[in-house]
Amino acid sequence: MIEAKDLVRQFTSGDRTIKPVNGVSFELGKGQLASIVGKSGSGKSTLLSLLGALDKPTSGDVVVDGVSLAGLPDGKLTEYRRRDIGFVFQQFNLIPNLSAVDNVMLPMEFAGVRTSARAQRARELLEQVQLDPEKQTRRTNRLSGGEQQRVAIARALANEPKLILADEPTGNLDEQTGGHIIELLSSLSRDHNTTILVVTHDRGLARKADRRFRLQQGQLVEEAAAARN
Amino acid sequence: MSVLARSVGNAFRNKIRTAAVVAVLAVAIGLALSMLVANQAVGAKVQELNASVGTTLTVNPAGGQGFEGGGEPLTAAEAATAAAVPNVTSVVGTKALRLRTETATTDTANAAAGTAQPGAGGPGGQAGGVTTSLTAAIDAGTLGNRNNNTGSTNGTGTGTGNGTEPVRTFTLPITATGTAAEVDSSGKALDITSGTGLGDYSAASTKALVGTTLAGKNKLATGSTFTVAGKTFTVAGIFDAGTTFGNNAVYLTLAEAQALAETPGELSSMVVTVNSMENVDSTKTALQAALGSSKADVTQGQRNLETAVSSLNSVKGISLVAFIAALATAGLIILLIMVMLVRERRREIGVLKAIGARNRTIGLQFVLEALVLVALGSVVGAAIASFASGGIASALISSSSSSGAGAVDQRGPGGGFGGGFGGQGGPFGGATQLLTSVTASASPGVIAAGITAVFGVAIIGALVPALLTARIRPIEVLRGE
Repeated sequence: MIEAKDLVRQFTSGDRTIKPVNGVSFELGKGQLASIVGKSGSGKSTLLSLLGALDKPTSGDVVVDGVSLAGLPDGKLTEYRRRDIGFVFQQFNLIPNLSAVDNVMLPMEFAGVRTSARAQRARELLEQVQLDPEKQTRRTNRLSGGEQQRVAIARALANEPKLILADEPTGNLDEQTGGHIIELLSSLSRDHNTTILVVTHDRGLARKADRRFRLQQGQLVEEAAAARN
Repeated sequence: MSVLARSVGNAFRNKIRTAAVVAVLAVAIGLALSMLVANQAVGAKVQELNASVGTTLTVNPAGGQGFEGGGEPLTAAEAATAAAVPNVTSVVGTKALRLRTETATTDTANAAAGTAQPGAGGPGGQAGGVTTSLTAAIDAGTLGNRNNNTGSTNGTGTGTGNGTEPVRTFTLPITATGTAAEVDSSGKALDITSGTGLGDYSAASTKALVGTTLAGKNKLATGSTFTVAGKTFTVAGIFDAGTTFGNNAVYLTLAEAQALAETPGELSSMVVTVNSMENVDSTKTALQAALGSSKADVTQGQRNLETAVSSLNSVKGISLVAFIAALATAGLIILLIMVMLVRERRREIGVLKAIGARNRTIGLQFVLEALVLVALGSVVGAAIASFASGGIASALISSSSSSGAGAVDQRGPGGGFGGGFGGQGGPFGGATQLLTSVTASASPGVIAAGITAVFGVAIIGALVPALLTARIRPIEVLRGE
């Protein structure tokens, strides 16, 4: 489904050259749930941004369903993010002055879905992530962290993406709420055949993954696969 | 939620800031609209002045100073000579009379004492006074008595009786003008507010036009009668000259006025109309040459108004510059506010890009947000303009006219009270009044045009920050994570 080919991302700061991602290669199949662990600053978020076309690699390539992202113009990359990718961020990154429903409708609006259809789907998704109906029309800056992360997951699912990239989705949540989010991502992968790549420090979430990777010194190392519950 | 709805929501995200931005925008937009209203009003006035007097020349007897000057009267032959000058489209001859009210007892007493009312001399050399049953609509007042009690040289007698100072019972005269067309002394069409004109102005007629205040004073209406030199005249219409002095007057046909003055063929002045503004100067020279400088004085109404028009034009220029400056200020405010908002929302823009928003969608959102602020500012600004435009225009005009007041108040030959024909508050006298008579009202059309310009500038101002959003990369979403 998605393949990273010798990805390198290099930053220059004065005389120093930093390579948080230095020759990463791996492949994920459809419906797989994979986790990447690593120390803070090890380049996990950088790798995720390369896979999601938020950033461009210094060298190497990302291939999604046989299509290379290298050399695609910005417009095509935007289309790729809109159609094939769903992002879940540690800081949620919701639009604070919009309601939960409006936030979930945004990707569908950008994809040209009709207003009535996107409103219906947004409510369905929010129910799926178990957000109380009365909170669906509430502004997201008035929701708790766990509720905001549910809205963010619903938003990531809005356009039925092939791949969900989640950057420490439980990092700002308490253990119980984090557990719910882990269950949710796991069921999405299992029930909707969605490929999910999660960057996490959470051992519980990592244990749920079909494949586990560790990023150290810019290199990705696959650890022993876990038996999925 | 559409882009528009999201933009409106964003515009009110920080209500205090929105209120402050709208207030600043409203001041700039209000000032811009006020300046546009002033510009339009002054432009219309300049156009009106040019249209009304710009192509007319006035011919007076050489040395003539209305009822006080000397010289030889103009004649019908000279009118014909003037009409033959190239570029002259029309010549309207006028004959002015000074009417005095019939006061039988006073006249008798004065006659017995060997006195006569000062000011009863004939206009432009008219022998004897012409009496009327009409009473002047203007009280002599301090100025009238002062002007006619001292140094009087135009009376028919100066008191030679028993050596005692005669008691003067002065009343202001009424100006009667015989005209060959339905125009006033400046060539401007008479504004007849009720009734009709005099029909054939070249023939003798007992029909007359009476000024509004004179008609009111004497309780005259269309169809009423009054006498001049014992002859009964019927009021055919009431006219409004626009000034108190101008409305204390009567218009007769030229032939009738000449007959009353017993000076057939004589003219007090002529109003010559030239075919275009460009030919006024050359025609004036040609006319002066044709009539002879010893016989006639040719004056150009436009010259007397030049200062006024120049002042108005400078006000027009200032208001245009101020309009553009205020417009640019509004655009700059929008530009700076939107640049600030874009910088403040870099991460949010990154989020939108990360979830698939196109650059043009985000740009449009920011432009619409700017237009929401401008729309609010325009509503408040239009309200400000509707109240302030008159005052701002007046302030501009008064400051401009006061700087050139010395020149503005100069009156040409025939101007001013007692200065003879043309001294009735027409366009040759009191140019300052012309300046202050500019009415700046905020018409919907002008406001709409101004707001369109404001929106145009706002779009330009908002496009720059909107384009800046295109340069923000989606990776901004991870800033701070």
